[in-house]
Amino acid sequence: MKKYLQIFNISFQQEFAYKLSFVMWRVRNIMQILVVFFLWDTVFSVRQSEIFGYDRDMILTYIFGLVFVKAFVLSSRTQDVAGEIARGEIINYLLRPVNYFKYWLTRDFSSKALNFMFAIGEFLLLYFILKPPFFFQSDPLQIILFLICLGLAMLTYFLLLFIVSAIPFWAPELGWGGHFIFTVIMVEFLSGVLFPLDILPMTFQNILGYTPFPYMIYFPLQIYLGKISGFFAIKGMLISLGWIFILWLLMKSIWEKGLRAYQAYGR
Amino acid sequence: MVDNRILLKLKSVSPKILAFARILKVGIIWDHLSSYFLKLNFKNINFWLKRLKYYFSIWFIMSKNSFLMILNQKSVLLIFLAGKILRFIFFATFLFFLVSGAKDVAGYNSTQAVFFFLTFAVIDTTSQFLFREVYRFRTYVVNGDLDLILVKPVNALFRVLMGGADFIDFITIPPLYAVTYYVGSLLTPSPFQVFLYFLLIITGLLMTTAFHIIVMALGIVTLEVDHTIMIYRDITNMGRFPIDIYREPLRSALTYFIPVSLMISLPAKAFMGLAGFDFILFAIFAAFAFLYISLRFWNFALKKYSSASS
Repeated sequence: MKKYLQIFNISFQQEFAYKLSFVMWRVRNIMQILVVFFLWDTVFSVRQSEIFGYDRDMILTYIFGLVFVKAFVLSSRTQDVAGEIARGEIINYLLRPVNYFKYWLTRDFSSKALNFMFAIGEFLLLYFILKPPFFFQSDPLQIILFLICLGLAMLTYFLLLFIVSAIPFWAPELGWGGHFIFTVIMVEFLSGVLFPLDILPMTFQNILGYTPFPYMIYFPLQIYLGKISGFFAIKGMLISLGWIFILWLLMKSIWEKGLRAYQAYGR
Repeated sequence: MVDNRILLKLKSVSPKILAFARILKVGIIWDHLSSYFLKLNFKNINFWLKRLKYYFSIWFIMSKNSFLMILNQKSVLLIFLAGKILRFIFFATFLFFLVSGAKDVAGYNSTQAVFFFLTFAVIDTTSQFLFREVYRFRTYVVNGDLDLILVKPVNALFRVLMGGADFIDFITIPPLYAVTYYVGSLLTPSPFQVFLYFLLIITGLLMTTAFHIIVMALGIVTLEVDHTIMIYRDITNMGRFPIDIYREPLRSALTYFIPVSLMISLPAKAFMGLAGFDFILFAIFAAFAFLYISLRFWNFALKKYSSASS
């Protein structure tokens, strides 16, 4: 446990070593939130009634909630694994007395902690500049379910990243390509980062409900907003748990095969 | 003298534009631009045509090499092509359902909103097709390879800006233009509106050129290119929606400071017959002004290049 605490500390300090890079990344996050905020603000500025089952307070809370949920779920260092495999650097870790998965999970926690701290500052800044209406959830059960869903979302994203990062075992040149498709495009559009998924027709929503993507961003925020509760919240969490189990098995199998195929390129 | 005449003319058009023109020192830039273009007599034109042919042949060779490199990695080509197509389809689908459900966005119906997005895609994809080399520029500076470019008998800016067209965008451009043509035809524009659209697309591309040059110049001075170019792209991504959705002072900033509005929204508005002539004239002037400023900044940055790693 002590060594993972050390990894956490070192990783946390490493983020500060590239200050400009980190600040630019946060600036980009704010800009992406601003675009979505202004879009929905405009949509609701004309009509005061509900659209897609949301009123103005709820949709703007969804957008502002993205600041926190993205910082917690999508902040990660695990995407660097693909580069380590492609460059042959993974061998350094395999020889050390450290569990490679726990190592990256710890680094992810470190990244999430830092991003979460900045997200609080950004949230306050944007809140005072834009002064949006905000929906405060008062039901403690919904808040507990929301926090559990965030934990499940974080694990789902971590496993997904680890699976995609294994591609360079067989095709080193596809490291970034895999992330581009799965963790940039698919996650951005299908997890609810750009828009709440219930603006899509019911058929699309039903199909998406059986994939892991909505459970990363959309589902936790819906629980916070109280739009999903009771039986449907439990059902969603069970599907999410099911996906974590499937992704875990898939990751183990892919990594076992990948390590056998690995030829230590570049070393 | 020129300064005052232009400022008086601008004052009669729009006070906002006048204020912006004062900041930019429009008169001085106009003097430089006009004196530059007056030098072009017929003898010079022949010379420039020969140079144009020379540079086009270089661009063709560099692009061919770049295409061959990508074609050697077919799996990479396929995965990035699939990613770009997926992103386009996802976003267009979202926009369609959003505007259909909300009935309109900032007064624009679903066809108009999709056309704004397509105009953004035309400018964004065309500039990425032409300027992909900018994404590799930092490596040249950090490794000192820029020296090898500077000593060659080719304009260094041309080489680092257009040194290899993007094959993936080359594949996506024809269907993108076709879809834009189809959606545009649904808006039944007049021939004059179509002419203005093409004119403003060209000015939009001139502005993107200027921004890419500024990013590279900043890269020489600060060694930071990757995030700067991504921030530039995030800002231009704001043009995926009609600029009217943004509140003041952001809307003014996107018109006068980082002119996403002039680059992307204005061509689409002109196509729909919704753009004022004052803004069209301003966009044309701003395009040349930005290009001029970016070239001056590039020359300044080159003087700061220390060739430290070579």
